[in-house]
Amino acid sequence: MTTIASLTNMRLKFSGMDSLLFEDFSLSIDKGEKVLILGPSGSGKSTLLQVLTGLIPNAVEVPMKADALIIPESWGFLFQDPDSQFCMPYVDEEIAFVLENLQIPREKMDHFIDYYLQQVGLDFADNHTKIQRLSGGMKQRLAIASVLALEPEMLCLDEPTAMLDPEGTKLVWETIKNVGEEKTVIIVEHKIEQVVDFVDRVILLDENGRIIADGPKQKVFDQHYHMLIEQGIWYPRVWEDYVQEKDWHIPTPINTANEKTAVHLSDFSAFRGKIPALHVEEACAHPGEWITVVGKNGAGKSTLLLAMMNLIKTSGTYYILEQNHKRIKHLAEYVSFVFQNPEFQFVTNSVYEEIAFSLHLTKWEQETISQRVNQMLKIYHLEEHKQTHPYQLSMGQKRRLSVAASIVKEQPIIFLDEPTFGQDAKNTFAILEQLEQLRAQGTTIIMVTHDLNIVKYFATKVWEMDNGKLVKESSASNYIETLQRAVIS
Amino acid sequence: MPMDFSYKETWLHKINPSLKLLLMVLLFIHLLIIHNTNILINYMIGMLILYLFFTGHPWKRLLVISIPFLLIFLTSSTSMIFFGKGEITWAEWGLVHITEESFFRGLHLGFRGIIFAVLGIVFALTTRPVFLFYSLMQQLKLKPKYAYSFMAAIRLIPLMIEEMQTLHYALKVRGVHEEKGVKGFYNKLKSYSIPLLSQSIRRAYRIAVAMEAKRFSHPVNRTYFYRLGFSGFDVIFLCYLLVMIPLSYIIANHFPYFSITDVRYNK
Repeated sequence: MTTIASLTNMRLKFSGMDSLLFEDFSLSIDKGEKVLILGPSGSGKSTLLQVLTGLIPNAVEVPMKADALIIPESWGFLFQDPDSQFCMPYVDEEIAFVLENLQIPREKMDHFIDYYLQQVGLDFADNHTKIQRLSGGMKQRLAIASVLALEPEMLCLDEPTAMLDPEGTKLVWETIKNVGEEKTVIIVEHKIEQVVDFVDRVILLDENGRIIADGPKQKVFDQHYHMLIEQGIWYPRVWEDYVQEKDWHIPTPINTANEKTAVHLSDFSAFRGKIPALHVEEACAHPGEWITVVGKNGAGKSTLLLAMMNLIKTSGTYYILEQNHKRIKHLAEYVSFVFQNPEFQFVTNSVYEEIAFSLHLTKWEQETISQRVNQMLKIYHLEEHKQTHPYQLSMGQKRRLSVAASIVKEQPIIFLDEPTFGQDAKNTFAILEQLEQLRAQGTTIIMVTHDLNIVKYFATKVWEMDNGKLVKESSASNYIETLQRAVIS
Repeated sequence: MPMDFSYKETWLHKINPSLKLLLMVLLFIHLLIIHNTNILINYMIGMLILYLFFTGHPWKRLLVISIPFLLIFLTSSTSMIFFGKGEITWAEWGLVHITEESFFRGLHLGFRGIIFAVLGIVFALTTRPVFLFYSLMQQLKLKPKYAYSFMAAIRLIPLMIEEMQTLHYALKVRGVHEEKGVKGFYNKLKSYSIPLLSQSIRRAYRIAVAMEAKRFSHPVNRTYFYRLGFSGFDVIFLCYLLVMIPLSYIIANHFPYFSITDVRYNK
């Protein structure tokens, strides 16, 4: 076996940090190995990939020192965010950018562009297609195509599917498995269900950037099982273990015979510009129900939430707690909304102020406010960060803050747009548990999600969307059964 | 929110972008030394022909874009008409003092403003940024470092527009009421610009790293996916200008609209 990449006694420190991120860190990777690197956020997994490819310190200036360093001659790097790894607006131009860098003569470019697109299973009528119009999964596969154009010996993948829906995730991993067979592949990922068959070596890091375990996958998984749970890694049996450990009972809707209907839609349409984008014939949500809105990308799930939030033009009947929505002046009094990207929701400069914001708007007493905010800070584990700017929090903390700030007024209805997106298992369960508590107290939850496990273990009802229409309303258990039957037959 | 900005390709699109840019700059400079309103009007007609018939964009879009032209015309001309110096008084109300000289100078400024705007917009409507930068690299030896950075930055604009929409929704959902006045504007500016900027800075940084990961800074002799040279369309454009400009002078001399041939004061 020949070594393709290795580090000996590497030390690295980010400016502004008190301690070294890596200290006397050594690692060696052989040609053809498929390596999975696991570790909690902040353990330096992405940084490690960048060091192994020489991006640090060549492109990203970070003080780094190593006794010995082997970097492969050719490598490719696939990043997390599909929107920030292209520099050209069109598909053909993007691959051509790589070919230009490699000084491939113009005459050969068209052939190569076709070839690499075909390798990742992308087939366009015209390669001159706008990247902006592609779905997230297609963008990631295009990114793989342009990485392949480098003809790399080693592929580095930094959570390439963290921002994709399940279908996109599946296709991207299939593509990676196809093209990566002959190559050395290093993967950083916390949703390991899809990759676990593909890799043969697993490296486990702790939060101080030290290697806790390094070896064949089965051995690491067996010996460090508790670490996986502790670090919130999405290992294949995580849901089953969670349910077992918590002695979980699938929630049942609480008796709501005497209560008002929370949301009632009838012949309800929404428009984007002048174009009808959504139609709901009839749908109801009651207090104590947890409704998951499911459907493919572009089926109109987020549009439904925006429409119910009065953010886009609508027509038809829409009652909130038996009041016509047009008569309600401040919808935010009744409904709270949690967006996909928590950052866009922050309007103040500190965690404390963020949670207190809507309470200030409703002119509560100063004392009641501080009591309530402190209570929320405690529930959402944000006490230590009271004075921190929301942007300086970690991804999981930001998400918790956005949920806390939205529901602080205890509005009777909560809308959520994929709140568990890109979160590790630990954070996901924490958020879900808190929502479940609210539901049990009678809050109505309507949540867009791709995660069938949430449907299975938390939802009471499912709204299925397809092509801008609400096509089916069923109980969560029925929905799961239908799916399972479909898989069997 | 998908943005449709489709257009038909015309000969103006096929002109070499570097040449087009250079000619536009020369025209800008030339415009500054025309002081005869008659010439300027003819000149404007020549440019409007390009704008209205040869940009390949639909009529509706062209009309919408021309609304600000009118604004430019009105603001730049009226201030000169009302407050400019002159001897032959036409009307006077307090500070406002309209004279024959200031009237024509105002008109002249207004027309010049329109021509500047038309030239700029014709260039923008008929030039794909990607071609412009490829051409700048090939004809004017612009360093790839700068050219590709600009192209990557242009990609960020539609993403930012989308983010702004989301941000607008989010603020509404949080119950942020729009305040009026200067303070409201300041608060609005702050609540939009900081998240948008922080997101863009992070994006830009990531794109830069991604470009490096694609070996951007290595090559000495880049090859180019688009090779831009010169063609017959460049000649057509040059000829158009070479006919249009002398013609404006000749027509202005033989069939003037106004008797004033120099709008400058004291000349």
